[in-house]
Amino acid sequence: MTVAELTATTGPARRNAERTPWFDWMVTPTLVVLAVVVGYPIVYTLLLSAQDYNLLDFEPANFVGLDNYTTLFADSIFWTSLLNTAIYSFGSVSISALFGLALALLSENIVGRHSRMVRSLLLMPWAVPFVVVAFLFRYMYLQNGGIINALLLWAGVIAEPVPWLNSASLAMPAVMVANIWAMTPFFFLLLSAALSAIPNEVIEAARVDRAKTWSMVFHIKLPFLRNPLLIGSLLMLIANFNDFAKIWAMTQGGPGYSTSTLVIYVYRLAFENFEFGYASAMGVIWLLLLLVFAVAYLRALRMG
Amino acid sequence: MSLLDKRWLTLIGAASAVAMLSASAMAQDKITVTFANWASAEGTTRDALEKIIADFEAANPNIDIVSETISFSEIARQLVLRARSGNPPDVAQIAGNDTILLAGTGTLEPLDAYPSDQLKANIKPGALSTLTVDGKLIAFPWNQSPAGLWYNKEILKAAGLDPENPPKTIPEITAALEAIHASQPDVIPLGMDTTNRAFALTSNWPWMRVFGAVPVGEGATGANSPEMRAYLTWMRDLAQKGLIEPGRKIGEFRPLAAQGKVAFHWDQVLLQGVIQGTNGMSNEDFYSTWGVTTLPIGPNGTAHTFEGGHQLIMFGNSANKEAAWSFIEYLSTDAAAVDGYTVGVLSSLPSIVATGDPEVDAKLDTPIFNAFSTRVIPTLSPQPYGAEYAAAATAIMAGVQEAVTGNQPIDEIAASMQQQLDK
Repeated sequence: MTVAELTATTGPARRNAERTPWFDWMVTPTLVVLAVVVGYPIVYTLLLSAQDYNLLDFEPANFVGLDNYTTLFADSIFWTSLLNTAIYSFGSVSISALFGLALALLSENIVGRHSRMVRSLLLMPWAVPFVVVAFLFRYMYLQNGGIINALLLWAGVIAEPVPWLNSASLAMPAVMVANIWAMTPFFFLLLSAALSAIPNEVIEAARVDRAKTWSMVFHIKLPFLRNPLLIGSLLMLIANFNDFAKIWAMTQGGPGYSTSTLVIYVYRLAFENFEFGYASAMGVIWLLLLLVFAVAYLRALRMG
Repeated sequence: MSLLDKRWLTLIGAASAVAMLSASAMAQDKITVTFANWASAEGTTRDALEKIIADFEAANPNIDIVSETISFSEIARQLVLRARSGNPPDVAQIAGNDTILLAGTGTLEPLDAYPSDQLKANIKPGALSTLTVDGKLIAFPWNQSPAGLWYNKEILKAAGLDPENPPKTIPEITAALEAIHASQPDVIPLGMDTTNRAFALTSNWPWMRVFGAVPVGEGATGANSPEMRAYLTWMRDLAQKGLIEPGRKIGEFRPLAAQGKVAFHWDQVLLQGVIQGTNGMSNEDFYSTWGVTTLPIGPNGTAHTFEGGHQLIMFGNSANKEAAWSFIEYLSTDAAAVDGYTVGVLSSLPSIVATGDPEVDAKLDTPIFNAFSTRVIPTLSPQPYGAEYAAAATAIMAGVQEAVTGNQPIDEIAASMQQQLDK
């Protein structure tokens, strides 16, 4: 195609684009739905966050400006919960991604009937509802009668039962183990699909060049897996930031505040203390943090 | 069509119209009372409640009871939301802090004027005082379920302790727990709820009071007090020696108690029903195996307990207050209701002295019920219930959990607890 031909075809297209109206009336129903289900709650939360709104107080709420935010930034439990959220989310996602990657690479060469069986087994935890996962691990972690302590005692690894969920230092790692168990299959599935999408020519070329296994993994496969890994990790980070069921069912944020995450703290403030104003202020901060991940996710998608 | 057929058709049509009109008039005459409760959500109580409702409707054909099922953990939230939106039920089952919480919204109907003098005279002493807020009776006691210190006599005997002479002081119970742990390591020496929820503070409050600690409420000495630190230190000592198992809810100890795996259990009167329902133990075996006593006394020399019974409330904007009250009265005082639900299913005590039915009253004459009525109930202490209670419970129980599960110095925990309470 010559330059003249290119100009001839792109010229009208550009003019058409210039004529495209900035607003298409066809999107109005979508915008209305979004305004109701997304816009209204966000705007109302913003308004509530500037009020001392308590559900038990039937008097009209007072406008308190940024007072809730000032209280929030001085609230040590908020900072503890934020730190716990970061540890829980980043820790679980990074370890699950590593395990998922390892499993995907290890099971890549299993073929035939065995492949289907192995893959089905590896994917099973993903099919278990999160609340069931939480209760499953809660009972497995029981200090007396839990299977984990029973096995460790039987094997002579520990001398006395360990209070997995009732120790301020062990509770968070214990909850994370349950979360990692449930989330690893997601990464396994994602990365297995990405591995199978690597062009055969690339693999063959590397083999012709006598690339060794590790070299193949680090120089050929991992670069191909980078984008799905990034997108999957961001998606899971957002999901873990909002994870309520597993933590609530296993520890309710305890012992003390050792597993209290932002979502647990907001729930307690809003639905146990009925402090909707203060809880909304925390919800706004939480929303802003999630927006950062969402923007990163969208950029990664575009790059991918 | 013949003339005769037409006449028949006219006659049938007229008769149907009259029947429909009279049915409609009857439906209009019938009063509907909505009853929000968690009893119909739970398998153990559902059938008994449905039977009581059916009995009440049979005895009051002009009243239709509509039972609205809400889980125990959700009922306060839902009632607050419904009260705010102007759509509460007529009557609701409620308990603990939630009763006082709802009274604080100002949407409850004061019940002082409803009970007759005869009923007032039949109510157990003190049963109404904890439900009176600002001089108004805001709820009616459906049943009483105070907590006592249950003990398994077989376990005590196996530990070389006197099963007929349970510990009476904190040093005595500590020594008994150590003896049990040493002789029977697979037994939980003391079952206590140390979760982080409002009920856990209710359950732990009498223990704190034994040490003289009053972290919040009337006469509060704060969480960072020597008494509170003494309580926290004792709790940590128990946990570190393996004498309590932190993190379990009160209900999670019950099946273990039924299996003979819990020596002492701080639980409500209903424990007997749960144990017998779980292991099928006869009354005779139960009374020879289990005993109940008051909480041990501490440095201040007094024992304490809490009331875990259920109450019934009526909302102020109910359109059928008289019918609602007759339902409340029926649930709480009718002999069949007391027999079939309060005693028969809940294993709890009625809030009235006598039902008027000798057979039912005879069922209340048992060693356990008598121990609760004569020794435990007199040690009932008020709880610091109110709008701030849930927030206080979170702060205090988080501190208790830190004491029993962590290594942070007790002074720091108490100071942090106070900081949270001051917020």
